[in-house]
Amino acid sequence: MFRTSLLRNLRAPLISSSVTRKPLVQNVVALSQPLFVRNYSGFPPLTRELAKERILELLEGYDKVDASKEITEESSYVQDLGLDSLDVVEVVMELEHEFNIQIPDNEADSLKTVGQTIDYVLSQEDSV
Amino acid sequence: MATSRQVLSLYKQLLEKAYKFDNYNFREYAKRKIHDSFKEHKGLSGQEQINSLYNSGIDSLAQLQRQTSISQMYTFEKLVVEPLDKHHH
Repeated sequence: MFRTSLLRNLRAPLISSSVTRKPLVQNVVALSQPLFVRNYSGFPPLTRELAKERILELLEGYDKVDASKEITEESSYVQDLGLDSLDVVEVVMELEHEFNIQIPDNEADSLKTVGQTIDYVLSQEDSV
Repeated sequence: MATSRQVLSLYKQLLEKAYKFDNYNFREYAKRKIHDSFKEHKGLSGQEQINSLYNSGIDSLAQLQRQTSISQMYTFEKLVVEPLDKHHH
């Protein structure tokens, strides 16, 4: 997106500057000024609280989770939340989509509680 | 010999493929079908039965692979029931 807007800005003066070359130079200078910088990727870094909030939200939205129980970091998927192994696979898939990561099967097996999941998500460098 | 881990892995692979359908109806059907079929045979304990179902699951995975590829060759309008910001593709 940035590249196309950059190209467009570079291109526009070229068409009009067939008579005088000066506007092109001015525009390049304008591009290098900090005024032109936009932070498209300026979202907050993934903190533990943020990750926890998103995971809890995801679990609360999952209709098989026992709604009467409060979900804490110590909650176990199978024992406390009443999920079976198939449901856990689905939760893991939702997590993969939510944080844009890949969780290999052997590591997914070791995720038994909500707290372990938060730690795992945070340990992945490319979580967003 | 299909272990429970292999079965779970097959379940995940099937669902991941099912998400790839562009058409809402195909996608939801596939998800529901996979989900229900696995739930139906959840308590199965006979090794022979498990193996034969596992093998038919592998065949279904190959079928899904083909069908999702074909589905992606066409474009479908989103239905009103579909959220626009859905991030499964």
